[in-house]
Parts: sequence; C-alpha cells; structure tokens
Amino acid sequence: MIKCPYCQHSMMEGALFCEECGLSLWEDAEGQVPTRKLEDDSDDFSVKSGWGTATFQPRNQVIVHVRDAAEPITITPTAEFVIGRRDAASGMIPDLDLTPHGALEKGVSRMHAALRRGEDVLSIVDLDSANGTYLNGQRLAAHQPRLLRDGDEIRLGKLVFHIYFK
Amino acid sequence: MDPVQDYYAILGVAHNTTEEGLRLAYRAAARRFHPDVNKAPGAVIVFRDINTAYEVLSDRQRRSEYDRLASVQGLGTSNLRLITSYSRRFLKRLDEPQLLYTLIKIQPALERGLTADAPLNLCLVLDHSTSMKGARLQHLKSAVHRIVDECRPEDILSIVSFSDDAEVLVPAQHPTDPRTIKALVSTMRPEGATAIYQGLRAGLAQIERFCDSRYVNHIVLITDGRTYGDEEECLKLAREAHLRGVGVSGMGIGEDWHDNFLDALASSTGGSSTYITSADAVSRFLQDRIRSLAAAYAERAHLIVAPTTRVDLNSVTRISPNPMSLSVEPQPIPLGTISGLSPTMLMFQFHILTGEAGPGEFYVGRIDVSAEVLGATNRAERVVQDLTVTIVEEDVEEEPPAELLEALSKLVLYRLQDRAREAIAEGDFAEATRKLEYLATRLFENGEEELGQAALREARYVSQTQTLSDEGAKRLKYGTRSLLPLPGDRND
Repeated sequence: MIKCPYCQHSMMEGALFCEECGLSLWEDAEGQVPTRKLEDDSDDFSVKSGWGTATFQPRNQVIVHVRDAAEPITITPTAEFVIGRRDAASGMIPDLDLTPHGALEKGVSRMHAALRRGEDVLSIVDLDSANGTYLNGQRLAAHQPRLLRDGDEIRLGKLVFHIYFK
Repeated sequence: MDPVQDYYAILGVAHNTTEEGLRLAYRAAARRFHPDVNKAPGAVIVFRDINTAYEVLSDRQRRSEYDRLASVQGLGTSNLRLITSYSRRFLKRLDEPQLLYTLIKIQPALERGLTADAPLNLCLVLDHSTSMKGARLQHLKSAVHRIVDECRPEDILSIVSFSDDAEVLVPAQHPTDPRTIKALVSTMRPEGATAIYQGLRAGLAQIERFCDSRYVNHIVLITDGRTYGDEEECLKLAREAHLRGVGVSGMGIGEDWHDNFLDALASSTGGSSTYITSADAVSRFLQDRIRSLAAAYAERAHLIVAPTTRVDLNSVTRISPNPMSLSVEPQPIPLGTISGLSPTMLMFQFHILTGEAGPGEFYVGRIDVSAEVLGATNRAERVVQDLTVTIVEEDVEEEPPAELLEALSKLVLYRLQDRAREAIAEGDFAEATRKLEYLATRLFENGEEELGQAALREARYVSQTQTLSDEGAKRLKYGTRSLLPLPGDRND
C-alpha cells in the first residue's frame, strides 16, 4: 500500500495518481517536495513550490505566522482549538485570540474557525464565519473540515497567516 | 471454419507449431480462461474462440484446409494495428494487489494513404421545439446548410426535424440538389415540445433505406431539451441501431438537456456526445463530427478484454476520441469508428495479485479488437494482443511512458468530477464539495484557470444547495473531458 502525501488516502502499489484527490504520485516519487524552512522570511508566501507534509504527530506544535507580525505565535492545538476574536460584550474567549493582529478591522468573527486534531493529522473547519475562511486561496464550505499541511496559508476574513508544524 | 480469424494468434502460437505445441498452448489458455476458473465478462468469449481455434487446428485435415484458405486471404497482414504501453514492465512480487495501467492505441496498420474516404449515409435529426427559438434555430439552420454544401456526391443525406412529432424534411438521397435541400431546412419553425424518440425513429427509418456496410451509417441528434418519458425507448432504439451497424452521436446545446441520457444513447453505439455552450458553436462541432466520420478507416469496432485469473479489470476508459468511461459488461464493448487520422486510445486499469506467481513472465490478459475496415478487400479485421509483464523479486526503477502519464493526468481530472456527481447522487454533499475542491486545485495546477474557477463555484453551490448547477455540471464534465484528446497523435 502507498499513502497519498496530500490527502492520506491509501492506494495500491503501482498507482501513479491519487484516486481521491488527483495528486500525481509520480512527480512525488522524485522527491520534489522540500520541507519549508522557518527562517525563510521572504514575503512571497503565496507562491508554493510544493506541498508540505500532512503528518501531524501528537507531540507536534503549530507555529502561526501572521503576515506583517513581528513575532510568530506557538500554539498546542487541543482536539478542537477555536481561533477568533475576543469579545468583551458576549464574554466569548477563543483559544487563539487574534485581536492584537487587527482581527476586528479585518473581519474575523468571534468564533471564526477551529483546528481539529485527528490521528496524525490536523484539519481546519470554518465555523460559519461572516467573512469566510480560505485555505491556500480556496474558500472553505462551513463545517466541512479540510486537512492542513505544513506551510499552508490561511485567511480569516482579510487576516492572513501561515502555519508551520514544529 | 472462418478463414478471417487468425486461429494461430488466438491460440498464441507460431504458424509452424507442432501438434504438441498446440496442445500445450490450449492447456495454458484453458487454465487462464476456462469459465470454471475465470468469471470475468470477456473470458467467456475469449475461451469460446480459443476452443474453436483448437478444434480446427488440432484436426490435421481441417488444419491444412484452413492453412490453404488463410494463405489465399493473406492472414497475418492485418490492416489494424494495436500499440500497447504499460505503466511498468516489472512488478515486484507482493502479497497485496498492485495496480497496472495499460494504454492501447488502435490505428491503421500503415502510416498514410489509408483513409478510406468511405461514403457517408448520414441522417441529421434536428430539434425544432419552442426552446430552440431565436439564435439557436438560426445557427442550427446555417450549420446544416454548410453540411449540405460539404457533402460529396457519393454520400447519402437525410434530414429529420422533430418537436412533438417527427417530420422527414429531406428523405435519404444523394445531395445532388443542395439548393432545394437548404430551402427545406429553412422552413423549420420553433414549436412544440421535445420528443426525441419520434425523431430518432424517423431518422433510423431513413438511414435503413441505404444501410450498407460500404457506408459509414450514422445519425447525428441535435437537441437543446429534455425528452420526457421515452428515454428507455430511445435507448432501446439505439441498441437496435447499433446491431444494424448504425452509430448515433448526440449534441446538446445549452444547459437543459439530459447529459447522462445523451451519453448513454451515444455510447451504446460507440458514438460520441458533445456539449455545445453557445449556439454559434454548433456549426464548428457539427462540421468536426462529420469530418471525422468521413475520415473513418474502420467501422463497427468492438473490444473484448479478458483478464486472467488473479487479475481484475478495474476500469476501461476511452481517452480519444470523445473521452468516456466504457462499461465492461456486456462484451464485446462497442467502440464505433476507428479514424484514419488519429488513433483510438483506451486506458485499462488492472489489479494484479502476484503473491503466488514465480519470477519471470506473468500473463495479465488478452485484448481483442475487431472492426470492419472500409474499402479493404478483407473487410472484417481482428487483432489479438496478449498483455504480459515480468515478475521480479527486487524493485526495478522504471519511468512510465510520457504519453501514458499525460493521458492519465487528464483522466484523473475527469474522474474527480465524475466522483463528485456520484457523491451528490448518494447524498454525500461534504464528499462532493471535497472532490470539487480537489478538482479545482488540480485544474489550477494544470493552468486551467477558467475550469478551476467553475469547479470552485460548484463546490460552493453544492454546499449551499446540495446540487450542482445545470450549467456548471455540464461545463465541468465536458470541460474536463475535452482536456483529454492528446495533441500530436500518430507518433509511435
């Protein structure tokens, strides 16, 4: 059996394409997928040279790098880890509060999206936010989790950040 | 005894083989295809043919009679050629099933000068229901006018128009008076509903007046609507047409026609179906279709595919022309027309269990293609191709053939949209959304910006409305399909 590095789907030996997500497994066999270096400080995050790993071990942490922010944030996702904006009026407190990064002006909802830990994978789900959650430029349908990969770009409303597995 | 069949090829032996050689080959074939051990749909037919061949060749008197007839017929010089490429030639022995892709190209045996320029026996079956009003009907009329002008004197043309009822506008005839024919076409007015069965039945009746194996007998149906209640009758009629050697192609204009129905109608005869987004493209599509019919090299082609035991045939897809997945049952599978200009390409996916196989040659199965070559003296042609790979104990580094990879990369896109539709049909909307998002990602990677956007729109549409939009569904299906025909055919 072989596993698709993009969607973790299992396939027979000899498969050249993933039946599940359409990824070419042949190019992958040539090892063209470099692991993204964290020191890479260039601003050109949206141009992806390949896909990072989707494997997320129990001991892994996530580094959240908000665009234009000086310091990255390190988080340890729980089974359901809510990202959003703290709101004094309703008293809701997300696990990761993006208020310091201009969440209100950039249209982040109070309970915007959640990270979910699965077996050796991490996924993101949009919690029916007002302005939407985008994964690598694609808008996610609400309540439908998508697998995350090392180096993915996430956009909540207009707030952009990248995640790296540590 | 049928001198057209190459009994030696069917048994997989040389022409000068001994009686003992014949016996051994027959035993080996029985182990692979005997109905007691092999339940695959094609195996029954293959084994029946092997039996017939052995009956003749194992009888000394009948064998020499067959050899004499065969040498007169010039056997062994088939006018059809199969070119096979495998995703890999070496399989490591494993205890789990493995995947093998095989690409087969069917083409004329000689490089050039073999388009038979066979005359057409063509019937255009045209929808003039109310919804065709305006630009659609105008464009359709001018498209048909152009076809009338292009017809050759030896061709036969008939034209049927239909709405609630069918009317024979132009009875089957040599188009010696194009002016009158065009005037008759111009009389079509938009009215009534779409009753495809009526149109098809009248069309088939016209075709049958001159139906002959010298001709490329073909019905082209052009519609913009759904037919209600007579789908089953239409499909039955198409199967009948196929048995009489008549092909059917369907062209749907706009969003409202029923694509699965038109696909089923065409594929049961080996024909093709096309989605035409705008009325002004009708002419181009119709001309392409009829030119490719006129360039036919062989007609009424059929495929038999029989995997051996320990091998499963997972799928067969026609890559070119007119990509579509083919149903492996019943067999023989209709392939329609083999063009003299570009090869027919088929992709097979086999699942192979190598656990008990020893190292060395491994017999995967047999591909058997028959067709009637137009214009050749020896009309019925048949090519048998045995597929084999080599089992090894160590991994062998191999690069898949570029042509196979290219075809497969496009096929994967077509399948993704297919799976999204299946998921919707099963009510699994989360799965459908996921498939459409994957499809969008792959389309963007392939530089298909517009189709990728369409896939994204549909992903959103599905998550909101739990269905695809009529337009989007067809765009994706025929859009991903149209990526498939490969440029630069005919290079082997």
